[in-house]
Amino acid sequence: MVLIFKFKWFASLKVGMALTMLVLLGSCNNKSHDTDDLTYWTSNNGGEIAFAQQVTALWNKQGGQQKIAFQPIPEGQSSEEILLAAVVAGTTPDIYSNIWQGLVEFYSKSGILVALDTLKGFKELIAERCDATTLAEITSSDGHVYQLPWKINPIMTIYNEAILKELELDSFPASYSDYLKAAKNYSKDTNGDGHVDHWLGNTSMKLAWYQRLFNFYPLYLAASGGMPLIKDGKAVFNNKYGIEVMTFLQSLYQNNYFSRQVESAGQDLFIAGRYGSKWTGPWEIEYLDKFKRPGFQYNFTTMPVPDAHQGPVYTYCDPKGVVIFNTCKNPQKAFDFVRFMMTEKNDLLFLHTTHQLPRRKGLDTMASFKNYFDTHPHMKGFARQSHFVRGSDVSPHMIEVLDIISQEYEACVIYQKKSPAKAIEDAEKAVNILLKTLD
Amino acid sequence: MIKTSIHKTQKNRQQGAAIKMVSPYLIHLAVFVLFPVLFSIFLTFHQWNIISPMKYTGLDNYLHLVNDRLFWKAIINTLFFLVIHIPLQLVVALFLAWLLNEKIILRPFFRASFFMPVVISGVVVTTMWQQLYGLETGVLNQLLTAIGLSRVEWLSHPAMAMVSIAIMATWKNVGLYTILFLVGLQAVPQSHYEAARMEGASPWQQFWYITLPAINPTIFMVFVLSTIGGFSLFIEPYIMTDGGPLNATLSAMLYIYRQAFGYYHMGYAATLGLVFALLILLVVAIQKRYVENTENA
Repeated sequence: MVLIFKFKWFASLKVGMALTMLVLLGSCNNKSHDTDDLTYWTSNNGGEIAFAQQVTALWNKQGGQQKIAFQPIPEGQSSEEILLAAVVAGTTPDIYSNIWQGLVEFYSKSGILVALDTLKGFKELIAERCDATTLAEITSSDGHVYQLPWKINPIMTIYNEAILKELELDSFPASYSDYLKAAKNYSKDTNGDGHVDHWLGNTSMKLAWYQRLFNFYPLYLAASGGMPLIKDGKAVFNNKYGIEVMTFLQSLYQNNYFSRQVESAGQDLFIAGRYGSKWTGPWEIEYLDKFKRPGFQYNFTTMPVPDAHQGPVYTYCDPKGVVIFNTCKNPQKAFDFVRFMMTEKNDLLFLHTTHQLPRRKGLDTMASFKNYFDTHPHMKGFARQSHFVRGSDVSPHMIEVLDIISQEYEACVIYQKKSPAKAIEDAEKAVNILLKTLD
Repeated sequence: MIKTSIHKTQKNRQQGAAIKMVSPYLIHLAVFVLFPVLFSIFLTFHQWNIISPMKYTGLDNYLHLVNDRLFWKAIINTLFFLVIHIPLQLVVALFLAWLLNEKIILRPFFRASFFMPVVISGVVVTTMWQQLYGLETGVLNQLLTAIGLSRVEWLSHPAMAMVSIAIMATWKNVGLYTILFLVGLQAVPQSHYEAARMEGASPWQQFWYITLPAINPTIFMVFVLSTIGGFSLFIEPYIMTDGGPLNATLSAMLYIYRQAFGYYHMGYAATLGLVFALLILLVVAIQKRYVENTENA
């Protein structure tokens, strides 16, 4: 009896362990069967998967070089969490192509990325794609470059063209005072219930740090001509531009020109005609063309600027780059593939497949892109804007910096609990304490 | 002598078998409970962002916690949530259980209906309620304005947001507690009520003097489960409000999550988690002591 018990116990334990090992190995193994292949993770949106499929097929077809096996980044709450889990588990891909510029410093400081400027062909690639400003933006605090600028989605103002006629305007208002005037005239109560139900726009009521990348930050860049939030380890946004932006946004909420509706998944009050405009990126085009009502006409323009503003109007460009992890056995080969992925021809393929802009200088004037922009006029506006864009500042703590700004934004803009000057001052103090404590 | 030896051998064998039988659970406990707890305590003395080497910081995390205004606000918010959620949950669950214990038509249908939200994913429920609570387009405000009342800023007013979340959480969980109360109610002998009725007791007196004392253990269980469940408030504010407006719905769990997986301050998040766990233990101990005192009295 004891023997039978022993046998059953050990047998079931062995079976259990074997099954566990099988499951663990299966879930950890992200490499392809051919261990010489390099792995490439792309984002999991349809367009980018299709592009990765095509570009890796083209590369692998050439032969004579290391093959690339691509896969979309595994599903998870956010790509940052997935990457972090992969780093901890030692299952990072060789190449990843959708990393937010503001996160690269966090990873590079942890020593898990390959310094790309040490690889052959880096200078040529950068010279072809980037100007000096972009290069400075992507250079890490240790002087090395760990990311290749790949794509951008500049934030601009989208507006319903019907409001121009309704407000008797020739063009969408560009300055703060014109914008506020238009917002006042557009706000109305259409069903007579005593509450305004049409507004010129809104910003997300949510506190999440990235929400400020679609309102406060592009407005700050527009007002200041592209000035940073952080420089030399200190907050530098406590200036007249920061205060002007907060004042402008506060006026919009204080006067009920912007809605305080918390939008839920599936709701789109711009398409519904309740919001006359919003601040968004080129991804909106494909979405609108799919879901808009017949006759709904829209257009894009730059972010609004202070009345006294002169010069070009900058904006935030939501930049994403390509990185190579230091678990890669052959970084040079990986880099060669990335160079191939970023040739002019493949950038055009990327544009056609994803309708996102490659981060490349002179995008709107290149002959090979002309046909695309002629057939996609809205995208041409974004390409023109690409001359005047900024990404993220170099800091490993960008998320927390934006979170601090978001807290002050909510208190000042949405609920008017603080004056714009006080909100900016408090944000500056908090950011400086943070940077001093953590750096 | 020989007898004792055989007895000892048998006893050892039995003990060995017992250890083997409980060993899967012990291994599970060691790997998934004991190790994480000890590792968390270890982390509280370090600064760690998961991918860089740990840095020993002594008591810095604890000192930072004492002065962390946002953490204490999150604790107060969570307690505020409990103050609304628990009584609401108890009263509504007991009322529904009482109704479902009566002979009403479609009783099985109602029992299943009230339990349905419990098995629906929290994310789905939260998204649905977010639409109901919409300021301009929400069904609740449309109903209010249709009958001539003012609309409510359910999620965008700092004083109202946590109340709205508590109402939603009650709707989501009340089915489970209703079932528990129903079981408790069905266990009360009918002879007690018959005797009370013969003595001329009113329905209220029957409820107060027979039903309530009889289901006291169930009330305590619901009380404790609601408290523990309430302390883990996370999905609702995470999806609906992200802790806003003005941090009015920032729960302790949401704040810990933000520190750990938003900023990768693993050491500090572990410190917050440890202190929070001790607070929960304290509250549950107080509840237990109170109920024991009440029973003894």
